[in-house]
Amino acid sequence: MDSQATPKTELLNFIPSPSRPPVVITHGFTGWLKKHLFGGFWNTLLTIAVFTLLYLLLKPFLEWSLVKAVWTASSRRECLSISPDGACWAAVIRWSNNLIYGRYPDPLQWRINLGIGIGIIWLLPLALKKIKHKIVIGLMAVVFYPFLASYLFLGGDRGRLHYVIASVALAYLFMLYMNIILIYLGKKQTGQYFESLIERFVPRRADLLGHLTFLLILSVLIAFIFRDFSLQDVSTDVWGGLFLTIIISGFSIVMALPIGILLALGRRSQMPVVRWFSIATIELVRSVPMITVLFMSVTMMPLFFPNTMDLNKLAQVIIAVCIFAGAYMAETVRGGLQAIPKGQFDAAKSIGLGYWYTMAFIILPQALRAMIPNIVTSFISLFKDTTLVSIIGLFDLMLMARNISIDKNWFGLHTEPLVAISVLFFIFCYTMSQYSQRLERHLTKGR
Amino acid sequence: MILNRESVDRSSEKKGIAKARTAIEITGLNKWFGELHVLKDVSLSVSEKEIIVICGPSGSGKSTFIRCINHLENYQEGTVSIFGEKLESNKKSAVLIRNNVGMLFQNFNLFPHLTILQNCTLGPIWLRKIPESESIKQSMALLDRVGIAALASKYPGQISGGQQQRVAIARSLAMEPRIMLFDEPTSALDPEMIKEVLDVMIDLAESGMTMMCVTHEMQFAHQVADRVIFMADGEIVEIGPPDQVLKNPKWDRTSQFLQHVLSHKS
Repeated sequence: MDSQATPKTELLNFIPSPSRPPVVITHGFTGWLKKHLFGGFWNTLLTIAVFTLLYLLLKPFLEWSLVKAVWTASSRRECLSISPDGACWAAVIRWSNNLIYGRYPDPLQWRINLGIGIGIIWLLPLALKKIKHKIVIGLMAVVFYPFLASYLFLGGDRGRLHYVIASVALAYLFMLYMNIILIYLGKKQTGQYFESLIERFVPRRADLLGHLTFLLILSVLIAFIFRDFSLQDVSTDVWGGLFLTIIISGFSIVMALPIGILLALGRRSQMPVVRWFSIATIELVRSVPMITVLFMSVTMMPLFFPNTMDLNKLAQVIIAVCIFAGAYMAETVRGGLQAIPKGQFDAAKSIGLGYWYTMAFIILPQALRAMIPNIVTSFISLFKDTTLVSIIGLFDLMLMARNISIDKNWFGLHTEPLVAISVLFFIFCYTMSQYSQRLERHLTKGR
Repeated sequence: MILNRESVDRSSEKKGIAKARTAIEITGLNKWFGELHVLKDVSLSVSEKEIIVICGPSGSGKSTFIRCINHLENYQEGTVSIFGEKLESNKKSAVLIRNNVGMLFQNFNLFPHLTILQNCTLGPIWLRKIPESESIKQSMALLDRVGIAALASKYPGQISGGQQQRVAIARSLAMEPRIMLFDEPTSALDPEMIKEVLDVMIDLAESGMTMMCVTHEMQFAHQVADRVIFMADGEIVEIGPPDQVLKNPKWDRTSQFLQHVLSHKS
């Protein structure tokens, strides 16, 4: 440092030149068209050729599906007599209720709407900016929402414990929205009103205890209000359609990630038993087709349980799909874990973070973030794979659509229902993919 | 724990400077990577508030040595004690290390998904169980001390290497360590940024931190080190005050190395 030569002559004063805004190249829509589609002879020719081809390909489909389509009819015969070359959407419209709710009794379908609606309402606050502790909201939804939803969907007498947990779930939802309103009004949150009272007895974590106290009070209140409230029993045998598809895939999508994370961590664990168990599970499940896993779950799983236990086919299938999806997710997560530089582990250890803290705060957030595209791809394929449950006789969206062709009024009508559910699947999958891209942009903001 | 620490500090002050406490005691450290014998019977005793600079050619085991002190590396033989307590691979030792030893790395190793401030507050909030608001206040003070309080809400990828290394210093200091280990903290930095990091380290040294520093910044060694260690082939070849080791080395190996380093610098 002292080796620098001392200047003999006077130095010039360096002033950086001012920055200019970047040069804009494109000039509006016509400029873009000119540059990309009609720039030069060959380019123009290619553009015209491609558009002509597109027109020729799409025209028959659009004619069939829209121009010549029949929207109202009471049978396939009627459809054919009105427009023999058009799509018979009347069948799909007639069956739309079954496609969505399966064979769930018509007068009770409000329970499904309410249940799904509650789920959406529960997750909406995650999009709000002012809300803190979103992970808690998400975790509560994962843990408690299924009890509330199944209470609605199943009805009947589900036992005292189930009733209590469902009450807590509803109470939490109420508390969540009360808190949101109070936050936006700029007032104290519900639980904070108890803080001063609690601080007299327990000095530590008074904020948390305050919220828990309020939740307890609200739960008791709700459990008391609904004590005579009873719903008619609906067996899972009549569940079906889009509703069933959402139940199976929703459950397995939510469970796949934690199962996958645990298996991936297990596979990298230093404890031999844990590692072998994880490797065995992952490799075994991955080397078997999903359809085999599904059959095994229905035919073999009962062998492992006592005869007296009444196993539910839907539950067996959901467990099977969860494990299957978890094994695949484990490898995706492991890929993300391997991308984390060793220095991150060193740094975490050097400030004293233990294994679980390191994983929870340092490694997994980075690993999962890097793997979002792959994780969402797994979710999307899982959502579509659930159509396989139709083979073991669950009336999901796929089987319902195929049932239309057995209906004596619409006998032999295959194409239209399949096109219709394809569109439905596309809407769901495309939404998921768009959401993942939004999430990625959001999470990588500022880096 | 914080109370404990203050009482210890006061008692050591009462004893006076005459006999400083031993901060780190390393005896007979041996380590192998497979067949490779990387640390050969290394022993060293570091008193409190002492500043030690370790230099040596690459592959001499100096990084491995310093990483053994806070158990980032396991070793097969020997003991490491911190303030008289022997370290083992258990929870109690982990807490002892966490409360006493901080470390800086060549590649900074900041957590890229957290902001500068979150990087600093993570440890205090979750390990020392300090309330969030208090931890933010403390971390902001530390960031101010290393001169980057204005960047607190940025992410590590948005700031320069020198700034990242200073954040790493603040992150370590947030755990209130009494010993700081530095593993080539300026090797990955541009010449212009080395100084800003060294300035913070000199400031730390003057505040009475016990420091062990693997570095090739001989200027820094001259200025602040109490003792300089020269390592080669997994052994401590030479140890002594900077003037002795850097100006009048006893061994040819040391002298060769110093010539290389100094000729490169000028």
